Amino acid sequence: MKKSISLESVSSFILLLAGFMLFWEWLRPLEEITDTGNVYLFVIYTAICFVTSFFTRNLWAKFVVKFFSLLFILDYLFINATLLSPEWIQTLTLELRFNLEAVLENDWGLMTAFARSMLFLLLLWLMSYLLHYWFMIANKFFLFVVLTFIYLTVLDTYTIYDAQLAMVRTFVVSFLVLGLSRYVKLMDNVERDNHKKHVWSWMTPIIVIVLFATVLGIYSPKLNPQWPDPVPFIQSTAGHVGFSNGPVQKVGYGEDDSQLGGSFVQDDSPVFEAIAHDDIYWRIESKDLYTGKGWERSTELDFQESNNGDIEWSTFLRQQIETTSYSATVRPVTQNQLSKIVYPYGIHHIMSSEQDPFFTDSTYGLIESESAEQIQNLSYSIDYEAPSFSINELRSNSEDDPVEIKEQYLQLPDSLPDRVQELATEVTTGEDNRYDKAQAIEGFFSANGYVYQIEDVSVPEEGEDYVDQFLFETRIGYCDNFSTSMVVMLRSLDIPARWVKGFTGGTEAVDQPSLPDDYSLYEVTNNNAHSWVEVYFPESGWVPFEPTSGFTNPTDFYQETSSDINTEDYMIDDEETEEESGEELSEEEQESEALNPAEDDSAVGGANNENGGNGGIYYWIGALTLIFVILAIIIYLKRYELRDWYMLKKWHRLIEKLEIEVAYVYLLEILEKRGVHRSKGQTLRRYAIEVDQRLGTSEMYDITLAYEEYLYRNQTSSLKDNKRLQSLFQRMIDQIFA
Amino acid sequence: MDYGNKVAQILENIEKVMIGKKHEVTLSLVALLADGHVLLEDVPGVGKTMMVRALSKSLNCDFKRIQFTPDLLPSDVTGVSIYNPKEMVFEFRSGPIFGDIVLADEINRTSPKTQSALLEAMEEMNVTVDGITKSLHNPFFVMATQNPVDYEGTYPLPEAQLDRFLMKLSMGYPNEVDELEMLNRTDREHPIDEIEAVINKEQLLKMQKEVESLYVDDTVKRYIVQLVSQTRKSPYVQLGVSPRGSIALMKAAKAYAYIEKRDYVIPDDIVYLAPYVLSHRVILRPEARYEGVTQSSLITQILEEIDVPVRKELHG
Repeated sequence: MKKSISLESVSSFILLLAGFMLFWEWLRPLEEITDTGNVYLFVIYTAICFVTSFFTRNLWAKFVVKFFSLLFILDYLFINATLLSPEWIQTLTLELRFNLEAVLENDWGLMTAFARSMLFLLLLWLMSYLLHYWFMIANKFFLFVVLTFIYLTVLDTYTIYDAQLAMVRTFVVSFLVLGLSRYVKLMDNVERDNHKKHVWSWMTPIIVIVLFATVLGIYSPKLNPQWPDPVPFIQSTAGHVGFSNGPVQKVGYGEDDSQLGGSFVQDDSPVFEAIAHDDIYWRIESKDLYTGKGWERSTELDFQESNNGDIEWSTFLRQQIETTSYSATVRPVTQNQLSKIVYPYGIHHIMSSEQDPFFTDSTYGLIESESAEQIQNLSYSIDYEAPSFSINELRSNSEDDPVEIKEQYLQLPDSLPDRVQELATEVTTGEDNRYDKAQAIEGFFSANGYVYQIEDVSVPEEGEDYVDQFLFETRIGYCDNFSTSMVVMLRSLDIPARWVKGFTGGTEAVDQPSLPDDYSLYEVTNNNAHSWVEVYFPESGWVPFEPTSGFTNPTDFYQETSSDINTEDYMIDDEETEEESGEELSEEEQESEALNPAEDDSAVGGANNENGGNGGIYYWIGALTLIFVILAIIIYLKRYELRDWYMLKKWHRLIEKLEIEVAYVYLLEILEKRGVHRSKGQTLRRYAIEVDQRLGTSEMYDITLAYEEYLYRNQTSSLKDNKRLQSLFQRMIDQIFA
Repeated sequence: MDYGNKVAQILENIEKVMIGKKHEVTLSLVALLADGHVLLEDVPGVGKTMMVRALSKSLNCDFKRIQFTPDLLPSDVTGVSIYNPKEMVFEFRSGPIFGDIVLADEINRTSPKTQSALLEAMEEMNVTVDGITKSLHNPFFVMATQNPVDYEGTYPLPEAQLDRFLMKLSMGYPNEVDELEMLNRTDREHPIDEIEAVINKEQLLKMQKEVESLYVDDTVKRYIVQLVSQTRKSPYVQLGVSPRGSIALMKAAKAYAYIEKRDYVIPDDIVYLAPYVLSHRVILRPEARYEGVTQSSLITQILEEIDVPVRKELHG
């Protein structure tokens, strides 16, 4: 310590350094517990903010330094163009605009890493400002120290972060600094010249004690945790009150189906737009191997390049089935691009706007294109022959399944409980053909109170079967539960069946472009992700079934003998589905008794707008509550200042009127609120003496004498006295609020 | 307030004799100015007589002393008519009660008959002997003393009679410093001999008149009433303060305000005087004693409970 440097600046520098080190402890875990990268940049930025605050008080200088270092870091991380060049500015504007739009539309998930980093840097900026205020101006260290300890403890308990070293560092730094800041506070009352006198006699014991305590703390034996680890407890408690046991996922199309189950949250971000004649199901692929937990493929994918976009294979036997020709256009939405191509039943030709080749796998029905993941504004046009299955024909189908089909599509895990097969047999009792059996199982779920729900859906435990759990225990689930159960039940009856994934038809877009009569533009969102069932019929091929409660199979079935009643039926349904959500409900009621409110939010419906609206309301309620809470906290913290401000305001109004009684009584009120309490029986004079003693004033006694004269002698003072009194009052008030 | 300084002088005078007894002296003067009487309850030798003597000397008043004994008769107090054989008439020989300042020493030693003769005289301000009514002196100030330790063969004053005294005081022992000072002063010559009159009887009467004319605001009167009625509500009290007590408190407060050189009464006066003026006027229930409640602690408690008026209106 040089003589020329004052104690204040040295100590405040140390305080700042300590503040920075404590704050660093807040940033350190980010790398481990979040997917934040480049944490060192954030630390550097914090350091810049701290140092700037320390060296300059000029607001503008601080702003400029902090702002430009923020830009510099963003540039370093995200923008390739030269700093402040036109392209650079353009990129920046684009980023900002995109993210702002995403935020305004509540699509928080769409925010880019750029925006998140920028917000985080801004947060650091604010935090550095706050900490600077706490440490340097308010000289309050304790709160932040306590918060840091709590933060580290919580992280250590609930995350993988090991806060042991962090704790030690925080302990040493914070206690040294608490000691120092206490010293600085004490020195405020000491003459300037003596400030440095006792620095070392104060600091040496502190350093010794802290280091001693640290070493002792590190090396002393420690008890094992006295409480059981709270994390499993909290999870199990939460599980009992109805949260799912499993992780909550976002609704959407996923590649990996080996572990089904768990809750979903709604996600209405768009996946693709399609121009089609109806809200047909969009198929992506099927899976054949049921593991007891989910679905896998039993053979490797074998992609073949398609010839000019012709699709050679078909899920059903084209020659046998009556079809209608349609075409459709699919335009994937850029941000949620799928690597797979969605297609309707009966696809025979696909063409992309980029003219690039397609690769297909005939076993699982996958179509891929190289450009799918990279090119924006890509669209495909698809020609397809929509099948209409004759019910009579399906009924009269033989059961002579080819061996390959039997091998591949009758696989069931050995662990499958017998009661699944027993149930399947029971459900299909009395049905003599494959179609009726499939239909019996398809209708079984909604007729028996199985509930469609995407929240609180459980994941099978170790040793538990996914289908068995759904069928006999939870009876709550979404499409995966229903479709998987149906496939497994059919297979247990030796009927080849497979599990199909894709999307439902989506919602008709609000702004329809001009299209041919029968066609509409459909928006398909992540909420529309779906799975259903295909059953093998030796003479017809794979026929789709829809077991999920509340969903309607859009595939056309007809019955020749009874003059196409079923066909009409479905056609009516189709028309209704095209209309808005209100009718949707009634349609669904026709289809299933076990209708659940959750369905409306689900894949089929046109309820998406309403749904978004609800989310919006919740969002606003949440935001308002948050604002209120923050306001309440601010008001609570500032309550004394606010009260004083209000009291002064009122005082100025009173004193102008010169009513001694009102003024005096109000003065009493102010004093009471400032903590000088008057007991009931305490006379004014004695109270005045007490007040003067405690506040170091003399005016209260004089004021009280004047007031006594007014009150007990019934004499109104002359104008001159009033002036004196007014100045007395004013001096008193000034000293109270000083 | 012509006599404001005189009051201070009187006090100063008496304090020459009564060292460290400013309270008691002031209170006695309050009683004198309020035209009331004082009951001193204390052990012998603490200076009761000395105070009264100093008082009467300062005021240049006629001082009489009655030592009450069990065989004292009412006529020994009031006086007796004696046949004058020369003039063939009964002549009235006035008793010691015909004095300006009367010290009734150990009043509880005498029979109730004699006690009531004194108390009656105090109330009526005259004495009737053999059908002839004689007015007592004006000013007339009785300071009665009671010995609280020696109860054998005493006739404690009936509680109802206590009401006639404006206030009840006790002197208590002086502290060591004061006692040392007292020894120093009485070393050669007793200071009572040095005391000179400050005012005379007429001036005292004028002062009493002035005291009476002091202003008591309704707020303060209301405060007195609240205090007094609270004594009647207290669960420890068998018999609360009578309206005479309210009047006494107001009168005393005026006198105190006068001593304080104020021409109006403030609640501080009431708070200061209430324990002396009110406590001997309440009769506690027996259970109060078990709970450690005394008369003066009760009054102190009531003082704490009742709101001091801080506004003109009642809601203050």
